[in-house]
Amino acid sequence: MKRARILMLIAPVAALIFLFIVLPYVTVLMMSFRAPAEGQPYGAGFSVEGYRQFFSQSYYALSLPQTMGLGIVTSLVCLLLGYPVALHIATAPKRWRGLLYGIVLSPLLVGIVVRSYGWTILLGNAGVINTTLRNLGLIERPLPLMYNEFGVVLALAHVFLPFMVLPLLASLQTADPAVRQAARSLGAGRFTVFRRVTLPMSMPGIQSGCILVFVLAISSYVTPALVGGMRVKTTTLLVVDALIDQFQWPFGSAMALTLAVSAGIVVLIFARLTRIRWS
Amino acid sequence: MTEVSLLSLVKSYGKSTALKGISLDVGHGEFVSLLGPSGCGKSTTLKCIAGFEDVTDGKILFDSKDISRKLPEDRDIGMVFQSYALFPHMTVARNLAFGLEMRRMARSEIADRVARAMDMVQLTPYADRYPKALSGGQQQRVALARALVIEPAILLLDEPLANLDAKLRDEMRGFIRDLQKRVGITTIYVTHDQNEAMTMSDRVVVMFDGEIAQAAPPEDVYDRPASERVARFVGNANILDLAVADQADAETSLSLPGGGRLAVTGGADAPVSRLRVMARPEQIALTGPGEGHIDGRIAKRYFSGGHVEYHVDTDCGTLNVLCPTTQNVAEGANVGLSFDTRRLWPLPGAAHVTAEPAA
Repeated sequence: MKRARILMLIAPVAALIFLFIVLPYVTVLMMSFRAPAEGQPYGAGFSVEGYRQFFSQSYYALSLPQTMGLGIVTSLVCLLLGYPVALHIATAPKRWRGLLYGIVLSPLLVGIVVRSYGWTILLGNAGVINTTLRNLGLIERPLPLMYNEFGVVLALAHVFLPFMVLPLLASLQTADPAVRQAARSLGAGRFTVFRRVTLPMSMPGIQSGCILVFVLAISSYVTPALVGGMRVKTTTLLVVDALIDQFQWPFGSAMALTLAVSAGIVVLIFARLTRIRWS
Repeated sequence: MTEVSLLSLVKSYGKSTALKGISLDVGHGEFVSLLGPSGCGKSTTLKCIAGFEDVTDGKILFDSKDISRKLPEDRDIGMVFQSYALFPHMTVARNLAFGLEMRRMARSEIADRVARAMDMVQLTPYADRYPKALSGGQQQRVALARALVIEPAILLLDEPLANLDAKLRDEMRGFIRDLQKRVGITTIYVTHDQNEAMTMSDRVVVMFDGEIAQAAPPEDVYDRPASERVARFVGNANILDLAVADQADAETSLSLPGGGRLAVTGGADAPVSRLRVMARPEQIALTGPGEGHIDGRIAKRYFSGGHVEYHVDTDCGTLNVLCPTTQNVAEGANVGLSFDTRRLWPLPGAAHVTAEPAA
């Protein structure tokens, strides 16, 4: 009886996961092995043509390390920018915390398209930064700020920063302040306390923040498309191109799955390297 | 061993004052408890000594050296926190080694000392466990060992037993006390539990509202409290407000409601009309009606295993009487109450210093 009731409670979630996660993945997996065809999305029968196409052409294959690199660098930038912010909020007086929290979250209130367009206004050759620098006489030719990795990482870091700050904040706030005091009573100066106590104790937050930003960054489309202007080729951009513009469903599906599996491997390696044994 | 002196310590937060001039000397190897209700300033005092709070005014001396401006890490203290505050990401052994590493001790020396400290608190088999995998009592012992392994000048304990269950708490009391005696370290212990303070300390410092109400050995605080508030805080107190019949040098004779007299030693220096005296529940004995100092009627009876507690209605109010279980009286019975007059304690304080105006 009890079992039946538990099953009934789980059923809606299970159905949702099955319908919208398992089933689509299975469909994509099947599609990636379908034969390509001219003039229609896919042909009859099965083949590994989609995968061969991806791995045999460097134009496509090299997008994978490029995308992973972009995700890793974006995570690192977010971590470096977000850690001081999270630390500051965690130690701020309670009455300020709500406001600071709001400021961190505020970018999420503006759509991702708007934010990415915002960056093109700032970074473009005739954008705010280049125009200002030129008018000040500091540069003669515009700096290459967008349509390259630099611009894409910058914009991605801005877009995903809250996803780094929030888990960091959560892990920093759960740490008992007495632990830091204990370290000081044992003779550790402020910096040593940070390096040996605060930082390692926030490892769970660093871990989830990095994974979150990495996954979001490699799968993002709008920001690399707008700020990178199709000159920074991410696998995600190529997937959309194959599925929608070239109408090659098996090829697109093969790329999408390869991207997902690669991302999974990177995340696993990262989790393994930063394994937490103490909690 | 180190001597600690607090010289008129003041701590204010904006407009509110947490410490209003605390002065206290703690001797070599002495175990002193700061006892008081929450918000009395006992924890603030400890934090000031540890260096986690700056003092607004006054000085803290370790062996006559002023350390009140030093950073916590330069004060050479060992501290045990209520939450234990163990490093969750380090094993027991690494927790203990931390303070020694900060002192840049040689690896072999560290290993040696850590091993000895773990042996001292009987945790050797748990050296490679993380704190999460230990019970509350074990974590407590790690915290204690971590504070002591650095051989600090003084040991500070902030309600270390508050999170343990009753049985373990009793065990740890004895453990901490024995360890402190063995190591001989000057110790300041903060607690709100009067039993804890009295069983463990050489001296109890009772604090109210940021001030020291009394600093004395446990027996004195219990039997000869400095005020009614102290009397009530450190135990159950019956306070009798009685008219003075006769006042001699060393003895004061008080009139009892039934017409009897009660002689107490000491009393007020100046002539007074009334005196408030304290009798602890176990200092009152039950007798037959008319055989004691006053008569009363048993209102409530509580059996607690080792003792029976009676609430007795008398003309002096309801008095608490604690008797051995051999003395068994039913609720509603009429009894007499006999005071242990040698231990009756006239309470000093403003309440009774009103001299009878010459009529």
